[in-house]
Amino acid sequence: MFSLALKNILFYKGRSLTTFLLTFVSTILFVVYVSMMDGSHKSMLENALNIYTGAIEIYKKGYRDIGGNEYYIDDVSSITKKLSRVDGVKSFSSRYETYGLLSTEEYASASMIAGIEPLKEREISSISKALVDGLFLDENSKNCLYMGDGLVKRLKIKLNDEVAFIGAANDDSFAADIFKLCGIFKTGSFEFDSTVSFITKTYFDELMLSNNKASYITLKIDNLENVDRVNKDITKLLNDEELESLTWKTLMKTMVEAMEVDSIFGYISLALFLIVIFFVIMIYGFINISSRIKEFGVLTSIGLSNSNIMKLIFYEIFILTSLAVIFATPIASYICYYYSLNPIVIDGISDMYKDYGIISDEIPFDFSLFTIGWNISLIYILNILSVIYPYFYIKSFTPIEAIRHV
Amino acid sequence: MFKLILKMAWKNSFLRLSRTLLVIIMIAVSMSMMLGIQGLYDGMAENMIDKSKRSDSGDISIFAKDYRIERDIKNIIKDASSIKKKIEILDGVEAVVLRLSADGLISTARKSSFSIIRGIELKDEEKFGRFSEFLKGGELNLSKRSAIIGIELAKTLKLRLGSKVIFSTQDSSGEINSIALRVRGIVQTTNISLDKNTIYVDKQILHKFLSVDETYATQISILSKNKELLSKLKQEYPSLDIKSFFELQPMMKMMQDMMIIFNSITFFIVMLVVFIGILGVMYVSILDRVREFGIMLGIGMEYKYIRTQIILESVIVSFIGYLLGAILGVAVLLYLNQYGLNLSSFADALESWGMETVLYAAIKVSYFSSTFFAIITAAILSVWIPLRKIKKLNPVEVIKAEK
Repeated sequence: MFSLALKNILFYKGRSLTTFLLTFVSTILFVVYVSMMDGSHKSMLENALNIYTGAIEIYKKGYRDIGGNEYYIDDVSSITKKLSRVDGVKSFSSRYETYGLLSTEEYASASMIAGIEPLKEREISSISKALVDGLFLDENSKNCLYMGDGLVKRLKIKLNDEVAFIGAANDDSFAADIFKLCGIFKTGSFEFDSTVSFITKTYFDELMLSNNKASYITLKIDNLENVDRVNKDITKLLNDEELESLTWKTLMKTMVEAMEVDSIFGYISLALFLIVIFFVIMIYGFINISSRIKEFGVLTSIGLSNSNIMKLIFYEIFILTSLAVIFATPIASYICYYYSLNPIVIDGISDMYKDYGIISDEIPFDFSLFTIGWNISLIYILNILSVIYPYFYIKSFTPIEAIRHV
Repeated sequence: MFKLILKMAWKNSFLRLSRTLLVIIMIAVSMSMMLGIQGLYDGMAENMIDKSKRSDSGDISIFAKDYRIERDIKNIIKDASSIKKKIEILDGVEAVVLRLSADGLISTARKSSFSIIRGIELKDEEKFGRFSEFLKGGELNLSKRSAIIGIELAKTLKLRLGSKVIFSTQDSSGEINSIALRVRGIVQTTNISLDKNTIYVDKQILHKFLSVDETYATQISILSKNKELLSKLKQEYPSLDIKSFFELQPMMKMMQDMMIIFNSITFFIVMLVVFIGILGVMYVSILDRVREFGIMLGIGMEYKYIRTQIILESVIVSFIGYLLGAILGVAVLLYLNQYGLNLSSFADALESWGMETVLYAAIKVSYFSSTFFAIITAAILSVWIPLRKIKKLNPVEVIKAEK
């Protein structure tokens, strides 16, 4: 059957070539499109996780939903001691966040001030790498502020200028101090750079009366894919009903949902192309088979069963699909691989979409053998489905009807 | 003669019914899907642009020269009220609003966030952008110290109707001032920067709070279809920063352009594949009947009649496919236009991206006219190669060969 199928493919060149070309094009289109979509999503996620949000964060229950001074973590040191025993945790750090008003003699602006542990923060987030001027914080930075460049512009200040801070301390009293601008960062995230400032937590704790307290503890883990397992271990180890340990999937629910919506639209568009191509492959298969009714009549009358006919048709489409896939996959894979290392750059796209959290002009592709594998499998399934109707059409003829067919 | 050719073309079109039906279904399914996707994407873009215009910049917005670079109360339009009056009487102007805005800190008893306070006059905003349509909860009430808040800011601060907030900012003299406000309404404009940051208060209250003269404004927005208006205003007020909607929202322009490019590429690819489908069927259909055409030429029928018949066959099949596709397409578009595509399970993401949770499709006549043109062109082009074969036929040889 296999060699007969091969002969038929070579004999009916028109149908073979059309099926081959359409399958070839749809394989490349499908693999490259999915790779681009997945790549841009991964990049958005990685950028967001690198900047500030941890893979896992530990909160006191109620902090995220209600907020307020009673929802800060009270005993940070006892929790961090336990965390160092969890397998898969790379590093962790506590942060104390509050909103306050920063003002100079002429200008004022609201800002989120975060008290951080500079040494640990270097390992966990990329805020230290986002330095554009001055210095990042260290444990002795005291009242030094590390401020987003958007906020610096808004306050019209330069390095070493003083900024007055007014906010609410952890005991609900007023907290006020004079800070000094020591460093400026730019992550590329418009909102983040326009609203956030950092200060050394030890200094900030004295001002805010928040010693051994934190808004949350942020964690970096060895492998993002193990996040659920590590989170489970942490929850078990903490064994505290007042605390909640959340993964990035919950912390960045909005972004995860946004990527899902984007994928839905992407797949809808892809489905249109694939359905049209599926129809054309089916039409060519049908035309080919309907012009061979006599041949099938002869084959069945000399003893071939329906399952043999099915095998023959299946082999034909399988060989054609395989040939197209063999040629298309290396090309598509190379495109994905190349652009995963050398992302497409669209100048100005991050500036244009800054409100949407896009922080880079680069659109990297994702190179995943698993994804390429399921993309190709779908092409095989579609092509095989396309011969089902032609098969049933053939089956509707008796051998005599088929032989007499004109 | 034409009647006879038409009759023959009609009958031949359905000679191989299964084959013809497959082509018709292919055209109908691909066309209706394509129309649905085009309509949905266009509807999404148009909706965002429309709401962005109505909630904020209108077709044209005017600012003080440096306001957009330095959003400071010092950069304010001083004679805004008189400018508004002058613009209102210009040809083609539908509505004009004045707004006063300031950046600051909004705090509840538990949370704080960066925010923009915007002083508006509800009556003017209603006329300008049907502001009441943005209301998601509560009422449009800015009396006394009532405030209306953007939906994303309300989520960030966990605010509900009746919640009390404190807004602090610098007034015009540089002093830090605070005002207590009560949330009476929550709005969703689908304009991200407004929904994430803005709290709306009565303009007069904000004027007093910021110690700013009542004739001043930070923004004058104009709704107008008059295309000459922008250049006219630029000439009239050279000291002000006057921008069109797309100059202020380049992202929207880019989004609109990308939708056009995406829809055009989709259209081209789908029509190309449809063309390949029709070509295959017509080619085989003609080759099957070479002897028939040979006989027709042999008994004296001119080539041009055969050509017309073949073209008609292709056009008939394609036109039926188009008709079915148009009916299905209208049904899909009407459904999506009326009921929309409900993506409320992704509400957080869509709202944070400035989109509605139910996406409604646009319906344009151009969808159907351009598809009609493309399908008929594909139908005519698809018989071009087989016709060349027929033209070269030697009737005697063909009849003999087939025997």
